[in-house]
Amino acid sequence: MKISGTNVLEQPVDKVWDALLDPRVLVATIPGCERLVATGGPGDHAYDMTVTAGVAAIKGTYQGQCTLSDLDQHRGLTMRLSGAGAPGTIDATVQVSFTEPSPGATQIAYEADAVVGGMVGGVGQRMLTSVSKRMAGEFFGNVGQAITSGPVVEPVEAPTGAGPADAPGVVFARPGVSTSSTSGDGDFLKGIAVGAGLVVLGVIVGRVFGRR
Amino acid sequence: MTTKLMGQGVQRVEDQRFLRGLGRYVDDVAVEQQVLHAAVLRSPHAHARILDIDVADVLDVEGVHAVYTYDDLTGPMAEPLPLLIPHPALTHGRTQYALAKDEVNYVGEAIAFVVAEDRYVAEDAVARIRVDYEFLPPVVGIAAARAAERLVHDDVPGNVGARLEQEVGDAKAAIARAPHTLSLDLTVERSACMPMEGRGTVARWDPDLHRLQVWTSTQSSTGVRAAVAVKMGLGLGQVDVVTPDVGGGFGVKINHPWPEELLVPMAARALGRTVKFTEDRREHFISSAHERGQVHHIEVGFDDDGRLLGLDVEFWHDHGAFTPYGLIVPIITSTQLLGPYKPQNYRVVFESLYTNTVMVTPYRGAGRPQGCYAMERTMDAIAAYLGKDRTEVRAVNFIQPDEFPYDQGLIFQDGRELEYDSGDYPASLEKIKALVGWDEFPAFQAEMAAQGRRVGIGLACYVEGTGVGPYEGAHVHIETSGKVKVATGLTTQGQGHATVFAQLVADELGCPFEDVEVVTGDTRRMPYAVGTFASRAAVMSGSAIHLAAKRAKEKVLKIAAEALEADEKDLQIVDGVVSVKGSPGTSIDLGTVSVLSNPLRYAFDEASKAATQFSVGDPGKPPVPEDEEPGLEGKDFYSPERATFASGMHAVIVETDPDTAEITILKYAVVHDCGKLINPMIVEGQIHGGVAQGVGGALYERMAYDESGQLLNASFMDFLMPYVTEVPDGIDVDHLETASPLNPLGIKGAGEAGVIPSAAVFAAAIEDAEGIPITAMPISPSELFTLRQEHSS
Repeated sequence: MKISGTNVLEQPVDKVWDALLDPRVLVATIPGCERLVATGGPGDHAYDMTVTAGVAAIKGTYQGQCTLSDLDQHRGLTMRLSGAGAPGTIDATVQVSFTEPSPGATQIAYEADAVVGGMVGGVGQRMLTSVSKRMAGEFFGNVGQAITSGPVVEPVEAPTGAGPADAPGVVFARPGVSTSSTSGDGDFLKGIAVGAGLVVLGVIVGRVFGRR
Repeated sequence: MTTKLMGQGVQRVEDQRFLRGLGRYVDDVAVEQQVLHAAVLRSPHAHARILDIDVADVLDVEGVHAVYTYDDLTGPMAEPLPLLIPHPALTHGRTQYALAKDEVNYVGEAIAFVVAEDRYVAEDAVARIRVDYEFLPPVVGIAAARAAERLVHDDVPGNVGARLEQEVGDAKAAIARAPHTLSLDLTVERSACMPMEGRGTVARWDPDLHRLQVWTSTQSSTGVRAAVAVKMGLGLGQVDVVTPDVGGGFGVKINHPWPEELLVPMAARALGRTVKFTEDRREHFISSAHERGQVHHIEVGFDDDGRLLGLDVEFWHDHGAFTPYGLIVPIITSTQLLGPYKPQNYRVVFESLYTNTVMVTPYRGAGRPQGCYAMERTMDAIAAYLGKDRTEVRAVNFIQPDEFPYDQGLIFQDGRELEYDSGDYPASLEKIKALVGWDEFPAFQAEMAAQGRRVGIGLACYVEGTGVGPYEGAHVHIETSGKVKVATGLTTQGQGHATVFAQLVADELGCPFEDVEVVTGDTRRMPYAVGTFASRAAVMSGSAIHLAAKRAKEKVLKIAAEALEADEKDLQIVDGVVSVKGSPGTSIDLGTVSVLSNPLRYAFDEASKAATQFSVGDPGKPPVPEDEEPGLEGKDFYSPERATFASGMHAVIVETDPDTAEITILKYAVVHDCGKLINPMIVEGQIHGGVAQGVGGALYERMAYDESGQLLNASFMDFLMPYVTEVPDGIDVDHLETASPLNPLGIKGAGEAGVIPSAAVFAAAIEDAEGIPITAMPISPSELFTLRQEHSS
């Protein structure tokens, strides 16, 4: 399925760009993201991630990977996402582009081509587009807030002690959430409009931006 | 004299149970606490290589007893599932493994099997299995399969499982010479049977008797038995399969063995516990079977009267990812397409194609709805081209009543000649015209048009090969109580077998209908059987039961004649009592005859005393005469040379909303000829059910696959089934009874007929109302609306 949309942040492009490449921001802003582990070297922008999300009653924890590539400073990037969990699987490629609609603001446009499998794909798919857009909106709102107030997350495990934020093995966990994969999802989902439920795809799209 | 029950609308004996919630389905079996429950990990991807399956997280889950993947299967279990119906043209037949080996080919394919204390734990455990996939490009839809830019199976070039051509005469040459020609392209989408009860299997291994007991919701208990025995390395005699009440089959349950039908017995034996698997609705959508998806191209040549001179049909059949049921569906389309007509020169060729979707097995009608749609739309097109009435064009092409048996010159789905045994198509046409008001319709249409309303009429004819072989058998046992126990091996999915078969036995034996008890689908009672499909139960088992009852009666008369010192010819059996005609005092009841049939040494009750050695028998003869057996039983089999061909015609009047394009059914009429009727009420019920399913197939149901092979409407939220509100309120039915010469009762099958002409008849009626060619079915109001816009621009 294809999903596209735009969001505008009242922040300059360079700040948005930096924020989206910062795993500390990502883990705190991606709806349902519990844990992010850098898997590549510095600058690889590759992560393993754990996200809890759901569409209506089809809810669960997904394990997945996210990598950012084709980085074109302050203009665009490609995000590859894959994830699997009990409710289904997702595999998406998202093209993200950045423009400046007015001075000091950033418009992010995304085009996702996603393969959604399993129960979410078969039963929840008709809700995916609207829910994912909603999640994307929420994600960008979170990012805007994070830029204003600064990242709130520090690595909880850093195998080599000090190092770049995205050095391999550095683990970021969302505050207030246990780092175990079975942690509760209440806090995250609350922020996301529990009624609408949540969507993996939304998460993905969110991630796309996040990767950014 | 007892009234003949054949032909009577006897009330169904099964409804007492069904209506009071006393039906007993597979999930109602083995409800005790100790039973273990299975859940299946199914592929979320339409096409992918399996790189790794990690079950480590499952092993320590409390309540999990076992988890199986392909690597745990051994011997025959590790081989691909059987290809049930091989055919020389199926050059690239493929079947799946019980659990996927290396690769998955449709969303829903079984990958791992977990057995746990209950279904909740089993599903939780399934969720903990981690599979690494390498995605492969999926092939979805007939166009993609034909394009063959991607392959479903690497070793199947062009995605073509089979190509089969049959020809009578020289169709191309005849079309080239014909004064008029037309060509049509017609498509039908996928749908599915959707029985209320999905698949289900329970198995219990008896370690003391070394026997396996299986209950399964199938249309062939003997088929499952044979497959389970072979796959598990057991003797056939060690496996018993019982099919209790079945909540609908409609074709999907004729496929066997499903992976679960093997995995459940395997786990039951390994764990020493009863194991149950009950399919949920989503599993039924994505891991059972679908049907109907076909694309047809038709070339036809005809004369000024609309008489067919040559017919050349090419079609493409989407059989999904695997071909366990062979080519049955497209073979039926290619042969039954001819309907009641004789095209002189006919060529048909089909390709059966692989796609990364759920496999295809017959769905009620089994290829006939598509064939009927192709042929009948061609008839409509010829009539429109010539400016003739649609019924006239059909009438000039009918096989006439004096032309039977009529050999169409093709080979049918059972490997036998496509030879029609009997029929009266002109009479049917007159009946349907009268029933629907065909001749009066133009005036009605004009009257409605004057009011700004759009109405249209459609008509479609079909011929249905029913009662295909190879055989069915029956066992009739008159007990010492006088009760009659009847067993036949094929299964029952709500057809009313316990009623109609009892009617046949009561008629033949002269016993009370209430004293007859019928058992179906229990391999312990009748181990030789084929199954319930192709509208064959009444024809095959009905005939076998009739023959078996006859044998039992012969024995009754022989024993009674001796006991009453009368001539067999002078005896009659009425209400379960054998008496000498004209001398009612000289009589003996069936129970006593049964006692006498079994000479005893040991008495165990009052009745049996009469059969002990000092009470009966001629000391000069052996107690059981030569060539006889003890017991009052009759057993026989029915194996016809070929199928018997039922026929019928449907007509519908629809109204389409000028604004919303909503399609409303104003009148639905059916003329039906299934030979001699055993129970007209049950036949009408079959027709009603068929029409309802046909309405679904024509106007609502489709399988919405996206381009990645995900089934988007895999729930009853999104897959539209007709409710009673969508089914015509009152279906006018008229019967014709053209006896079949092929069986002793003169009957033909009735189970599928109601659904066959639906796509054809609705397309015709909507086209008549709208004046727009309708070439793709099913059709929704949105699609009709879009068509209008395309045609007005």
